[in-house]
Amino acid sequence: MQSFVDRYSTTSAVSQLRKVQRLAEEDDEYSDATWGSGAGFGNIMKGSPAFTVPNVPDPTSFLRLHTDDRADPSCRIKIQHGTTTLAFRFQGGVIVAVDSRATAGSYIASGTVKKVIEINPYLLGTMAGGAADCQYWETYLGMHCRLHELRNRERISVSAASKYLSNLVYSYKGMGLSMGTMICGWDKTGPAVFYVDSDGTRLKGDLFSVGSGSTFAYGVLDQGYRWDLTDEEAQELGRRSIYAAGHRDAFSGNTCNLYHVKEDGWKFIGNYDISQMHYEGPGNVPGAPGGGYGYDQRVVGRSSANPPEVVAAAAA
Amino acid sequence: MQYSFIEPPWRPRKGYLIMAADTTAARSIVKMKVDEDKIKTLSPHLLMAYSGEPGKSLSLKDPRDTVQFAEYVERNIRLYQIRNLYPLRPAAAASWIRRALADSIRSRKPYVVNLLLGGYDTATHEPHLYWVDYLGTMTEVPFAAHGYGAYFALSLLDRYHNPEATLEEGLETLKRCLDEVSKRLVVSPSKYKVKIVDKDGVREIEL
Amino acid sequence: MARRYDSRTTIFSPEGRLYQIEYAMEAISHAGTVLGVLAKDGVVLAAEKKVTGKLLDLSSAKEGGYGGSGEKIYLLNSNVIGGVAGLTADANSLVNYARTAAQRHLLAYNEDIPVELLAQRLCDMKQGYTQFGGLRPFGVSLLYAGYDPHYQFQLYHSDPSGNYSGWKATCIGANNGTAQSLLKQEYKDDISVKDAIGLVLRTMSKTMDSTTLSSEKLEFAVLTLDPETKQPRAKIYRPAEIDALLASEGLTKKDDDAEMKTA
Repeated sequence: MQSFVDRYSTTSAVSQLRKVQRLAEEDDEYSDATWGSGAGFGNIMKGSPAFTVPNVPDPTSFLRLHTDDRADPSCRIKIQHGTTTLAFRFQGGVIVAVDSRATAGSYIASGTVKKVIEINPYLLGTMAGGAADCQYWETYLGMHCRLHELRNRERISVSAASKYLSNLVYSYKGMGLSMGTMICGWDKTGPAVFYVDSDGTRLKGDLFSVGSGSTFAYGVLDQGYRWDLTDEEAQELGRRSIYAAGHRDAFSGNTCNLYHVKEDGWKFIGNYDISQMHYEGPGNVPGAPGGGYGYDQRVVGRSSANPPEVVAAAAA
Repeated sequence: MQYSFIEPPWRPRKGYLIMAADTTAARSIVKMKVDEDKIKTLSPHLLMAYSGEPGKSLSLKDPRDTVQFAEYVERNIRLYQIRNLYPLRPAAAASWIRRALADSIRSRKPYVVNLLLGGYDTATHEPHLYWVDYLGTMTEVPFAAHGYGAYFALSLLDRYHNPEATLEEGLETLKRCLDEVSKRLVVSPSKYKVKIVDKDGVREIEL
Repeated sequence: MARRYDSRTTIFSPEGRLYQIEYAMEAISHAGTVLGVLAKDGVVLAAEKKVTGKLLDLSSAKEGGYGGSGEKIYLLNSNVIGGVAGLTADANSLVNYARTAAQRHLLAYNEDIPVELLAQRLCDMKQGYTQFGGLRPFGVSLLYAGYDPHYQFQLYHSDPSGNYSGWKATCIGANNGTAQSLLKQEYKDDISVKDAIGLVLRTMSKTMDSTTLSSEKLEFAVLTLDPETKQPRAKIYRPAEIDALLASEGLTKKDDDAEMKTA
C-alpha cells in the first residue's frame, strides 16, 4: 500500500525526488561533467540536491533488501558500520579522534580511511556509518558553509552548520541513509560539538562517541574527562580512548587520527598506529606516559599472588 | 532477565578478588525482583556470578535456566568437597563447569548461561578469575565482565586495573565501572551486590 | 571348615572372615618387597625384583621409555609413581586402570589427579572385586608415591580388600615386618629426600635375601619438585643409574672392594 501511494502521490519524498531528477535531466548546461565528477555535485545548482534513486516502486525497501547484512549475510551491498569516532569539548578547544578501519561485513576493506572530514579550516566532521553517505554529505555541507560565508560575510556557526546537515538528512529519512557524525568547530560561542545522525537527531554536547567501538571509547573517555584538561592531557585522552576501542572492538582499529580545534582553526596532531600504541606507546608525544597502552605491557611483572610469609620464604 | 549483567570482578594484589553483579531480575519490561543475588558461593573460597545471554530471545533465556544451571554446578562442587574433604581448586572447578556447558550446548536443550568464576586458591595463595560463556568457552583473565556492562567496563579496566592495587584501590576501580555503566547504559541497574574472596574466604560488602 | 567359605569371595565365614582376601594378602607377603619413604621434599620408592637372570632381556629398561625395568615400579601419572607387590598380571590391569582414571580426571578438571583420589579410584574397584559373585580379588598391594598441591608429598598403601591408608614410611611384600620395624626405628620427621634415599637403600639391603644390592634386583624411583617450575618430577632410575647410586651410598660389595683396593 505504501509503495502504491509513493508511486502516484505528488507529495511523497520519492516522487519529489523524481521530480527534481527530471528537472536536472532537462538541464544540459550544468551537467555533472562540468565538475569533473560523477558524484553529482552539479545538481545543487538547481537549489535542490538529488541522488540517483533505484528505478523501482519502493527504493527504501529495495535498499534494505540488498544491504541488511544482519538479516542476510550474503547481501549484495555491504555498508561500512564498524567505526570508532569521538569528539569532546574542553577548556582548550575541541579534540577529535577517530580510527581508520573500514569494514564490509567481516572483511577489512581498508586500514587507512580518513574519517575526519575537513569541512573548512574551522569545521571538522566525523564519519561513522556509511562511508559514502558521510563523505558526500559532509563535503556538500562544506560547500554550503562557504556559500554562507560569501552571503553573510561571516563564518557559519557550528550550530547552524550542524542544523543544515541535520535538516538535510532528515529530508531523506527512511530512505536508507546511514550516518552518525559529529560536527566540531570553533565559532563566536567558543568550542562546539554537535552530534547529527541520519535519523535526524541533533544534539549539542561536551562529549560524544559514535560507532561500534563507542562504548569502549566512552569507558576511558568519561573516566578521564574534565573540563580543565590541558591541551596535552586532552590529546592523550583522545588517543587513549581510540586505542581502547581499537583494541576491544573488532570493527575498529588500524590507526588513530587526532585533530585539535582551537580558536584559530583545526590542527592535525598526528596519526598513531594502534598496535604500536599497544606495544610501545604513541611515541614521544606530549601527554603520553612511557611505554605501551596494552594491559599486559602496562602491568608486566606485577603479580596478584599473596602467599603467607612462610610459604613465600619456602618458595624463595 | 532482560538485562542482567555481571560487573567486573578482578584480582588485584594482596590476593583478593572482587565480584559484583546487579540485583534485578526482570521479565520483559517489568522488574520482578530488585534484590536477587546472582553470585553463588560454591565453596569457602569460590564465587560464581551467572547471567543469561544479552539479546537472546526470552524463551531461550528463561531466568530459571540460569538458576537451574547454577544450582546444578553448586551441588556438584559441594559433592566433590564432601567426598574429598577439600574443595576443588578454582582452576579445576572452572574446567569442570566449562565441560558441563560444552556438553550442554551439544544437547537437545542447551543452557544459555554466561559465568564468571572467581576464587582464591588456598594451595598456591593466588586469586584466579575465569570467564566462561554458554558456548563452553573458558579463559583465565585478570578482569572480566558479561552482559551490556562489559562494553563499557572492559576498556576502562584495560586502562585502570592494577594487579598490585590494595583492596581499597580495587573497590575504587570497581566504583568507576559501576558509575560508567550508570552514566551510559540506557537501562542501567540501580543496585549491585559486591562480594570479595581472599585467604579468609568469601564476604559480602556494601559499596 | 574353611573349605566351605573360601571358594567364593562373596561369602563370609562364620568367624566373619573373607578367606579369599586373606589368601590374596598372603600371596603378596611372598612377593618382592616394595618400600616407600616420605620425605619433606620428596618421596622415595624402591622395589625388589624377583624375575631375574642372565638371559632376561633388559634392553628396554636401559634405554627408551621412562626408566625402570617395568616389573615393580610404574609411572601412573606425571605426579604419581606406583609400586606394586603381588601378581604381576593383576598389577598390570590395575596400573592400566589407574592411568585411565588419572586421565579421566585430567579431562574433567584439567589438573593432575590428587594422589588420595587416585588411590580411592583403585580401591573402589578393588573393593568391588571382593563383593560381586564370580570374581576373584586382585592379588596386588600398591604403594602410591605422589604429589598434589592440597597435601604436597604423600605416600599411600592399598591392599586387595580395597583398604587404603597414608604413611610416612611403609613396606609391602616379603619381609615387610622386618622392614617396617627398621623404618620405625630410623625414620625421622622432616627427613630430606637425600637422607630418605639412604634410608630406603639401607633398609632394602637388610631385608633382601641377596647379600649384594645391584640393579639386577632393584628398582628405584624418586618424586621431587622441579626447582624451576615447582611441578612434580618423577624419576624412575635406569639400571646404570641405580648402580651409580648404590656406589655413591657405599652399598655395593663391588665398590667396597674397589675402595679397599684404592686405599
